[in-house]
Amino acid sequence: MADSGTPSAPQPAPLPVQGNAAVAVLSAWLIPGLGHFYLRRRLRGVAFLVLVLVSILVGCWLEGNLYQVVPGQPLTILATLASMGMGFPYFLLRYALHYQGNIMGPGYEYGTAFLLTGGLMNLLLVLDAWDIVRGKKE
Amino acid sequence: MLSHFLLMVLYALLVSLFFSLLWRRGRREQIRLFLQIFIGMVGGGLLVAWLMYPFPSGPPAPIP
Repeated sequence: MADSGTPSAPQPAPLPVQGNAAVAVLSAWLIPGLGHFYLRRRLRGVAFLVLVLVSILVGCWLEGNLYQVVPGQPLTILATLASMGMGFPYFLLRYALHYQGNIMGPGYEYGTAFLLTGGLMNLLLVLDAWDIVRGKKE
Repeated sequence: MLSHFLLMVLYALLVSLFFSLLWRRGRREQIRLFLQIFIGMVGGGLLVAWLMYPFPSGPPAPIP
Protein backbone atom coordinates (compact mmCIF):
# COMPACT_ATOMS: atom_id res chain seq x y z
CA MET A 1 0.00 0.00 0.00
CA ALA A 2 2.98 2.21 0.34
CA ASP A 3 3.07 4.80 -2.40
CA SER A 4 6.71 5.67 -2.01
CA GLY A 5 7.33 4.63 -5.59
CA THR A 6 4.72 6.92 -7.14
CA PRO A 7 6.01 10.26 -8.30
CA SER A 8 4.75 13.21 -6.30
CA ALA A 9 2.51 15.79 -7.94
CA PRO A 10 4.47 18.42 -9.81
CA GLN A 11 4.95 21.53 -7.74
CA PRO A 12 4.07 24.83 -9.42
CA ALA A 13 7.10 26.80 -10.42
CA PRO A 14 7.80 29.72 -8.09
CA LEU A 15 6.78 33.08 -9.48
CA PRO A 16 9.61 35.42 -10.39
CA VAL A 17 10.77 37.68 -7.60
CA GLN A 18 9.86 41.24 -8.37
CA GLY A 19 10.56 44.60 -6.83
CA ASN A 20 12.44 45.48 -3.69
CA ALA A 21 11.09 43.72 -0.60
CA ALA A 22 11.85 46.55 1.81
CA VAL A 23 10.25 49.18 -0.42
CA ALA A 24 7.19 47.00 -1.02
CA VAL A 25 6.65 46.22 2.66
CA LEU A 26 7.33 49.75 3.90
CA SER A 27 5.12 51.38 1.29
CA ALA A 28 2.39 48.80 1.94
CA TRP A 29 2.41 49.72 5.60
CA LEU A 30 2.73 53.47 5.11
CA ILE A 31 -0.18 53.95 2.72
CA PRO A 32 -2.79 51.21 2.35
CA GLY A 33 -2.56 49.67 -1.11
CA LEU A 34 0.66 51.44 -2.06
CA GLY A 35 2.66 48.21 -1.80
CA HIS A 36 0.39 46.55 -4.35
CA PHE A 37 0.59 49.64 -6.53
CA TYR A 38 4.37 49.43 -6.38
CA LEU A 39 4.21 45.76 -7.35
CA ARG A 40 2.09 46.67 -10.39
CA ARG A 41 -1.16 45.34 -8.93
CA ARG A 42 -2.62 48.77 -9.47
CA LEU A 43 -6.31 47.97 -9.57
CA ARG A 44 -6.05 45.83 -6.46
CA GLY A 45 -3.99 48.52 -4.75
CA VAL A 46 -6.66 51.13 -5.39
CA ALA A 47 -9.39 48.76 -4.21
CA PHE A 48 -7.49 48.05 -0.98
CA LEU A 49 -6.85 51.76 -0.44
CA VAL A 50 -10.56 52.49 -0.75
CA LEU A 51 -11.58 49.62 1.54
CA VAL A 52 -9.11 50.47 4.30
CA LEU A 53 -9.82 54.21 4.09
CA VAL A 54 -13.57 53.65 4.22
CA SER A 55 -13.10 51.51 7.30
CA ILE A 56 -10.99 54.21 8.97
CA LEU A 57 -13.33 57.04 7.96
CA VAL A 58 -16.41 55.21 9.22
CA GLY A 59 -14.56 54.52 12.46
CA CYS A 60 -13.77 58.23 12.86
CA TRP A 61 -17.30 59.23 11.91
CA LEU A 62 -18.62 56.93 14.65
CA GLU A 63 -16.11 58.51 17.07
CA GLY A 64 -14.42 55.21 17.86
CA ASN A 65 -11.30 54.86 19.95
CA LEU A 66 -7.94 55.21 18.22
CA TYR A 67 -5.93 53.19 20.69
CA GLN A 68 -2.81 54.33 22.44
CA VAL A 69 -0.92 52.54 25.18
CA VAL A 70 -2.43 53.03 28.62
CA PRO A 71 -0.06 52.28 31.54
CA GLY A 72 -1.25 49.31 33.56
CA GLN A 73 -3.41 47.96 30.72
CA PRO A 74 -1.20 45.59 28.71
CA LEU A 75 -3.94 44.71 26.22
CA THR A 76 -3.87 48.27 24.97
CA ILE A 77 -0.37 47.54 23.63
CA LEU A 78 -1.83 44.95 21.25
CA ALA A 79 -4.71 47.22 20.31
CA THR A 80 -2.32 50.10 19.67
CA LEU A 81 -0.15 47.91 17.45
CA ALA A 82 -3.26 46.85 15.54
CA SER A 83 -4.32 50.47 15.11
CA MET A 84 -0.86 51.56 14.07
CA GLY A 85 -1.07 48.92 11.36
CA MET A 86 -3.00 51.46 9.30
CA GLY A 87 0.30 53.31 8.83
CA PHE A 88 0.38 57.00 7.99
CA PRO A 89 -3.34 57.58 8.68
CA TYR A 90 -2.77 56.61 12.33
CA PHE A 91 -0.13 59.27 12.84
CA LEU A 92 -2.11 61.81 10.84
CA LEU A 93 -5.16 61.25 13.01
CA ARG A 94 -3.28 61.11 16.30
CA TYR A 95 -0.70 63.85 15.94
CA ALA A 96 -1.88 66.18 13.18
CA LEU A 97 -5.64 66.10 13.57
CA HIS A 98 -5.53 65.33 17.32
CA TYR A 99 -8.31 62.84 16.83
CA GLN A 100 -9.86 61.47 19.97
CA GLY A 101 -12.77 59.11 20.13
CA ASN A 102 -15.84 59.95 22.13
CA ILE A 103 -16.63 57.31 24.69
CA MET A 104 -20.07 58.86 25.20
CA GLY A 105 -20.84 58.69 21.48
CA PRO A 106 -23.53 56.21 20.43
CA GLY A 107 -21.24 54.60 17.85
CA TYR A 108 -18.14 54.38 20.02
CA GLU A 109 -17.87 50.57 20.14
CA TYR A 110 -18.64 50.17 16.46
CA GLY A 111 -16.23 52.93 15.55
CA THR A 112 -13.47 51.26 17.54
CA ALA A 113 -14.12 48.01 15.70
CA PHE A 114 -13.93 49.78 12.33
CA LEU A 115 -10.68 51.54 13.27
CA LEU A 116 -9.06 48.34 14.52
CA THR A 117 -10.24 46.52 11.42
CA GLY A 118 -8.67 49.16 9.18
CA GLY A 119 -5.33 48.68 10.92
CA LEU A 120 -5.49 44.89 10.81
CA MET A 121 -6.51 44.90 7.16
CA ASN A 122 -3.45 46.94 6.32
CA LEU A 123 -1.19 44.57 8.27
CA LEU A 124 -2.55 41.73 6.13
CA LEU A 125 -1.79 43.82 3.05
CA VAL A 126 1.80 44.15 4.22
CA LEU A 127 2.05 40.36 4.48
CA ASP A 128 0.42 39.99 1.06
CA ALA A 129 2.92 42.41 -0.48
CA TRP A 130 5.70 40.40 1.16
CA ASP A 131 4.36 37.18 -0.35
CA ILE A 132 4.08 38.77 -3.79
CA VAL A 133 7.58 40.17 -3.72
CA ARG A 134 8.94 36.76 -2.65
CA GLY A 135 7.13 35.10 -5.54
CA LYS A 136 4.79 33.05 -3.32
CA LYS A 137 1.64 34.74 -4.57
CA GLU A 138 0.48 36.06 -7.87
CA MET B 1 -27.97 55.88 10.19
CA LEU B 2 -26.72 54.62 13.54
CA SER B 3 -28.60 51.39 13.15
CA HIS B 4 -26.98 48.26 14.53
CA PHE B 5 -28.14 46.31 11.51
CA LEU B 6 -26.86 48.78 8.91
CA LEU B 7 -23.49 49.05 10.64
CA MET B 8 -23.27 45.28 10.79
CA VAL B 9 -24.05 45.03 7.07
CA LEU B 10 -21.50 47.74 6.25
CA TYR B 11 -18.86 45.97 8.33
CA ALA B 12 -19.62 42.62 6.70
CA LEU B 13 -19.49 44.27 3.28
CA LEU B 14 -16.06 45.79 3.89
CA VAL B 15 -14.57 42.63 5.39
CA SER B 16 -15.96 40.26 2.78
CA LEU B 17 -14.86 42.51 -0.09
CA PHE B 18 -11.40 42.78 1.43
CA PHE B 19 -10.88 39.06 1.89
CA SER B 20 -12.35 38.12 -1.46
CA LEU B 21 -9.84 40.46 -3.15
CA LEU B 22 -6.99 39.32 -0.92
CA TRP B 23 -7.45 35.58 -1.09
CA ARG B 24 -8.83 34.94 -4.58
CA ARG B 25 -7.68 35.99 -8.03
CA GLY B 26 -10.36 34.81 -10.46
CA ARG B 27 -13.52 36.91 -10.71
CA ARG B 28 -15.89 33.97 -10.19
CA GLU B 29 -13.91 32.75 -7.18
CA GLN B 30 -13.90 36.24 -5.72
CA ILE B 31 -17.66 36.56 -6.04
CA ARG B 32 -18.15 33.13 -4.54
CA LEU B 33 -15.95 33.86 -1.52
CA PHE B 34 -17.52 37.31 -1.11
CA LEU B 35 -20.98 35.79 -0.91
CA GLN B 36 -19.82 33.09 1.49
CA ILE B 37 -18.25 35.55 3.93
CA PHE B 38 -20.95 38.20 3.60
CA ILE B 39 -23.86 35.82 4.04
CA GLY B 40 -21.99 34.02 6.81
CA MET B 41 -21.40 37.23 8.77
CA VAL B 42 -24.84 38.80 8.30
CA GLY B 43 -26.68 35.51 8.59
CA GLY B 44 -24.62 34.48 11.61
CA GLY B 45 -25.32 37.84 13.27
CA LEU B 46 -29.04 37.50 12.67
CA LEU B 47 -28.98 33.92 13.95
CA VAL B 48 -27.24 34.94 17.18
CA ALA B 49 -29.66 37.85 17.57
CA TRP B 50 -32.58 35.47 17.11
CA LEU B 51 -31.14 33.04 19.69
CA MET B 52 -30.64 35.89 22.18
CA TYR B 53 -34.11 37.32 21.65
CA PRO B 54 -35.79 35.50 24.60
CA PHE B 55 -33.22 36.80 27.07
CA PRO B 56 -33.86 40.19 28.67
CA SER B 57 -31.32 42.85 27.85
CA GLY B 58 -31.12 44.26 31.39
CA PRO B 59 -29.93 47.71 32.38
CA PRO B 60 -27.20 49.37 30.29
CA ALA B 61 -23.64 48.69 31.36
CA PRO B 62 -22.01 51.47 33.39
CA ILE B 63 -19.53 53.65 31.56
CA PRO B 64 -16.04 53.16 33.04
